[in-house]
Amino acid sequence: MNKIPHIITLLLSILSIGNLNAQTGEVSPARKQAIDSLALEKVRDLSKYISIIGNKKTAFSEATRVMDRAEELFTPGSEMGVSSLSSQEVKYYKVRKYFEHLVALNYDRVTIKWYDIHYISDLERQPDGRYVGVITIYQRFEGESDDGMNYKDTTKKDITIYVERKKTQIQGRIIEFWDVLLGDIRVTETGV
Amino acid sequence: MKAIFFLLLSALFASPPLRAQLVNGMEDETRLYAESKQVNQFFRRFNGEEDEKGNRYNPDDKMYQSAKLRKRYFSVLFDESNQGISTTLKSEFVKQVVDKENTLLDFHGPQWFSEVQTIFTSNAKDLPITLFMELEKDHLGYKWVIRKVFADAYQPYFVRDTTKVGRFLHPLSHELDFMNLHKAFSKSDSISQFTAKQFVPDHLSVFLYEVKKGTLKFKSVREVRFHFFQVAGWYFELADFNRPGYNTGWLISNLVKLNTDADKILLQRYLYHETN
Repeated sequence: MNKIPHIITLLLSILSIGNLNAQTGEVSPARKQAIDSLALEKVRDLSKYISIIGNKKTAFSEATRVMDRAEELFTPGSEMGVSSLSSQEVKYYKVRKYFEHLVALNYDRVTIKWYDIHYISDLERQPDGRYVGVITIYQRFEGESDDGMNYKDTTKKDITIYVERKKTQIQGRIIEFWDVLLGDIRVTETGV
Repeated sequence: MKAIFFLLLSALFASPPLRAQLVNGMEDETRLYAESKQVNQFFRRFNGEEDEKGNRYNPDDKMYQSAKLRKRYFSVLFDESNQGISTTLKSEFVKQVVDKENTLLDFHGPQWFSEVQTIFTSNAKDLPITLFMELEKDHLGYKWVIRKVFADAYQPYFVRDTTKVGRFLHPLSHELDFMNLHKAFSKSDSISQFTAKQFVPDHLSVFLYEVKKGTLKFKSVREVRFHFFQVAGWYFELADFNRPGYNTGWLISNLVKLNTDADKILLQRYLYHETN
């Protein structure tokens, strides 16, 4: 994935909004809004990648390339915790395994759609100074096989986002920016 | 109650831009808007800190924490399937929270905790264990920590009947270098009879020991709920309802009026399974 446009967006957002309160470490409402937008952009990237990975028309080589891009959105070690309506038990998968599982699903046609709604939590500061938030989105999955087997579900995805202040050097100048990475995702089948 | 929902939802979707339709004409999203999707959203609705679409109000917004907004949200914050929470009780609670004392929930504050039902495995068998978690300030931010643990499987090991005389170490045992400990420990099932009256079993210590020793392995989280004592004179429980309809998500699943501090302590002890 080309990271340059992201960094430029981040830098622009930083120039356009106020500074972090150095004493309390609190994020101003304007900055929070800018971070929300950045985080949503990453979540939309992930949604797009999942749709491509799950699409049966996607060639395996292309799916592998997209899985690599999708993995870059996450902090190392991120997991998906998946549960269904029939079982309360949560099964845990590494993000890459989850994508591979999606590619290997035994349907002839798969449709993945995303609901328009999303919900963004407040940002909370962790002991290490990084900020953490959760974005909730909803996905509709439909799988169909030529032999008539079909499956549908709607899942709620609660996606962890980590927000961190970083520094980069551009033309000899040190510039600070906010970076957003995705973390663990809780996937719950909903009773819609 | 349904009428209130529809009033809320119609208000929600009356204002442009209309974002209630699903992409490519799938089911509409009104149910998802009505749902308290995160505990964070429950806090914001309880405190009146966001609009009907989930957009955050800032402290300088007119509607921020307004009584009118809060009252409207309270109509969708209770589990309607629980007949045990009467309309009168709900009204009394809302009146106190919004009108009388303007009580707000404080995410970083004390007097609330999480009850997490988990499954561990021990000797290849599933073992349900309850973790009681609290938020704790640490360095630059906050973290969830395990405050207490309860495991049904540990209970039999701590049972003792203090009403009977039972077995004991006589008061001159020290003169014999406590040689009678040999007999005391010969029957492991009665060992708790030799502990002090004040002894309170601590499941958390046993749990830590077992996990560190490797005899207890984490498997899964089964259920999460929250207990709130932040409203003076009241207790409520928050649980997640994943079901069809509009009354879904994080909702108040239990509401109790506490008449005295003793009531509060008793209830807390009950929740922690500290009934002895």
